[in-house]
Amino acid sequence: MTGVQALYVKELRLYFRSPIAYFAISVFLIGTGYFYTYNVFLGGTATMDETFQNMGVLLTVVAPAISMRLFAGEWSGRTMELLMTLPLAPWQIAIGKFLGALTILLAMALGTAINLIPMYLFSEPETLTILSGYIGFLLLGAACLAIGMLFSALTQNQIVAALATVAALLGFWFVGNLQNFQSSPFLWRLVDYLSFSSHYETFIRGLLPGESVGFYLAVVAVALTLATGYLQWRR
Amino acid sequence: MIALDSVSKRYGSKTVLHDVSFTVERNEIVGFLGPNGAGKTTTIRMIAGFTAATSGTVTVAGLDMAVDNREAARRIGYLPEHPPLYDTLDVGAYLRFVARVKGVPRRGVAGELERVAGACRLEDVFRREIFKLSKGYRQRVGLAQALLGRPDILLLDEPTIGLDPGQILETREVIRSFGAGHAVLLSTHILPEVTLICRRVAIVHHGRLLAIDTPDGLRGAVEETRIVSLRIAAPAAEARAALLAVDGVRGLDMTPPGGDAPVLAVECAVEDRDGVEAAIARAVAGRWELLEMRRRAPTLENVFLHYVREADRAEAAS
Repeated sequence: MTGVQALYVKELRLYFRSPIAYFAISVFLIGTGYFYTYNVFLGGTATMDETFQNMGVLLTVVAPAISMRLFAGEWSGRTMELLMTLPLAPWQIAIGKFLGALTILLAMALGTAINLIPMYLFSEPETLTILSGYIGFLLLGAACLAIGMLFSALTQNQIVAALATVAALLGFWFVGNLQNFQSSPFLWRLVDYLSFSSHYETFIRGLLPGESVGFYLAVVAVALTLATGYLQWRR
Repeated sequence: MIALDSVSKRYGSKTVLHDVSFTVERNEIVGFLGPNGAGKTTTIRMIAGFTAATSGTVTVAGLDMAVDNREAARRIGYLPEHPPLYDTLDVGAYLRFVARVKGVPRRGVAGELERVAGACRLEDVFRREIFKLSKGYRQRVGLAQALLGRPDILLLDEPTIGLDPGQILETREVIRSFGAGHAVLLSTHILPEVTLICRRVAIVHHGRLLAIDTPDGLRGAVEETRIVSLRIAAPAAEARAALLAVDGVRGLDMTPPGGDAPVLAVECAVEDRDGVEAAIARAVAGRWELLEMRRRAPTLENVFLHYVREADRAEAAS
């Protein structure tokens, strides 16, 4: 695992030595802060439910900014040749990079924890609901980053990778809305199952459904496997 | 250490490498010569494991690259044509990353970094971000990462490109010193570099390996080794008749006196056998003053062009 660890450290260094991490984290925290202020202080609801919902939508825009450089940056910077000729298996490259991006997501989630201070000071929020909301956020974020990483592996252009990821994530987020147009029970169930937002809502409500956890982990596994397979195929 | 056996590479319908076979042994530096698009980079990339052969086998340190490329990668140091650098990292962080991935133990990393930084003269820029480095330094950082982990095999694609003359000499010295106990494959456009560093030279053109031999062996194999140059103080017509009458002289080319050349300059194409030079000397001596006579040593450039032209001619004929 030394190779994965070294790659992970390198990824973090690259994130924090370029404006991307600072920009993504700042945009996300400012956006979350705005929605939190609006929902809690102006709306008068002492829960994180609405804010979590807004954080999910923000993620569909911010996650592509984090994931776009993962492979596209390596292709365009000609460093992919180094990675592919070092003693690293493609799956190790994918895991090392994914963990690096996941750490940025974790930093973003930790940054939002500051919102909890006034909530605990002035009300009695349900800790377990907040905890399940964060777990849902991290799982959703992991799925978004994995999809972003897959698109990043497919192109040398970071902008193309980001835009394709935004399109895919918005598709996954809103696919549940197609339920109303489905007469077939199978398709009705399918679009509901594929919907990132409907799975996420169960976490926000304070549940930890195995089906939703499994869904997000399956999306991560499929996206990472496809990215790994593509790297292998490119060789 | 490196063995290619009937290796071909196709991209779609385009074949960029045709049935290439050669070996590079330990203690040997082999130069890879060829015009742009000849297939040098593709060949080196296949040996490095960046791309796979369409057919044939590439073996590195006894390991089949189609099966054991990850294990083989531990034995290979590779400098691609464009040094693969992360611009926002500093030199030390970059080399540390490569060293760790290559399996250098954590405790040995500092010593290993010191070794390669010394060999590539990087001490002054060790803490500088890579994007601030000159092209020469970037090339040296690329070479340093290839040397990390003391690989058995070194693959260098145009290692001295972008370096100033002093740096070129230093880099050649690093490569030469690495050649002892290791196998080095070096692709370059700089022909004298091959003569200076390499024990053997491979000439590739249009994806085909045209020849592989020692520089002297290649020179000996081309027709130009059978050219004798003369400078004589003689009238052109008479000298032509006398020289063509010599047994073994197949033809000649004359440059009459004039300008900087006060005497007649002659280039004789002669048969490749002993005694022809002596016969020429006898034909000239006593009649005219023979100022200079030598068998012309062809440059590697001539050898290279000879093979490339021959290949082009053969292709055109078929």
